Amino acid sequence: MRNPLIIMIITFFPIIFLSFTHKNKTIQTSKAADVNYIIPNDIQEIINNSCYGCHNNDSKSIKSKMKLNFDKLSTMKIGKRVGKLNKIHDVIEENEMPPKKFLKKYPDKSLSDEDGEKLASWAINMASQYINE
Amino acid sequence: MIKNLSILLFICLIILQFFGPSLPEVSNINPNDLIDNNPEIPEDIKTTLQVSCYDCHSNETKYPWYSSIAPVSFLVVRDINHARDELNFSNWEDMSKLDKASALDDISDVIIDNEMPMAIYTAMHRGTSLSNNQKESLVLWAEEFSDHMFD
Repeated sequence: MRNPLIIMIITFFPIIFLSFTHKNKTIQTSKAADVNYIIPNDIQEIINNSCYGCHNNDSKSIKSKMKLNFDKLSTMKIGKRVGKLNKIHDVIEENEMPPKKFLKKYPDKSLSDEDGEKLASWAINMASQYINE
Repeated sequence: MIKNLSILLFICLIILQFFGPSLPEVSNINPNDLIDNNPEIPEDIKTTLQVSCYDCHSNETKYPWYSSIAPVSFLVVRDINHARDELNFSNWEDMSKLDKASALDDISDVIIDNEMPMAIYTAMHRGTSLSNNQKESLVLWAEEFSDHMFD
């Protein structure tokens, strides 16, 4: 009686596994489809360290996630993405993010001036490339 | 005792009246206005914007009679200045495309989050709160209008 169960698991496991990898592939193609949207490694590192903790798909802070979700940025419609990118630039320039309260608890998440400058100019450059005038 | 206190309070309010800040200026002719410059905006969106947003987020504020009476005036002045600072539809065409995109995205965010119109505003101004249908069309419009700028 046990054997059929094991066989069933063995047969289904690859199917389940494949369906996941297939999903990942489609996400990657949709990212790759927009060749203009690039996050260089150094910028990704800055984002991972100081922003991504709250601004991601699984964030516990619904508000942070709603205002900006880095997992969705690449698949957003252009207008919305430009708006978000421009806001990233603005809040960094104004020193509004990461929030001071948050930094008191997690000082290692703070942005150095240099990294802030890098992130802000990346965001504004990404946003500006969509303007065709 | 209570009588004396209420007289004192009344006198304080009268004095306050003279120190109140003046109400932000109103202008009904705004060459850079969003609605005037974008005739393609659907009628229902125009109406929603004018009824529920323009009182604070434009130069076309319609002040109710009590707005110049202290201490209400202090709140009104503070809120309207802050609102126009955040987004003033009367200055729309003066904004860069990037700032327009961010403003349109903000519109979606504050509507979805029920932050706007402010509860105190809709409580004092009948007919300004948004129905779910209105919210949905406003959010959709903001996204489309933004996308359209980068076609």
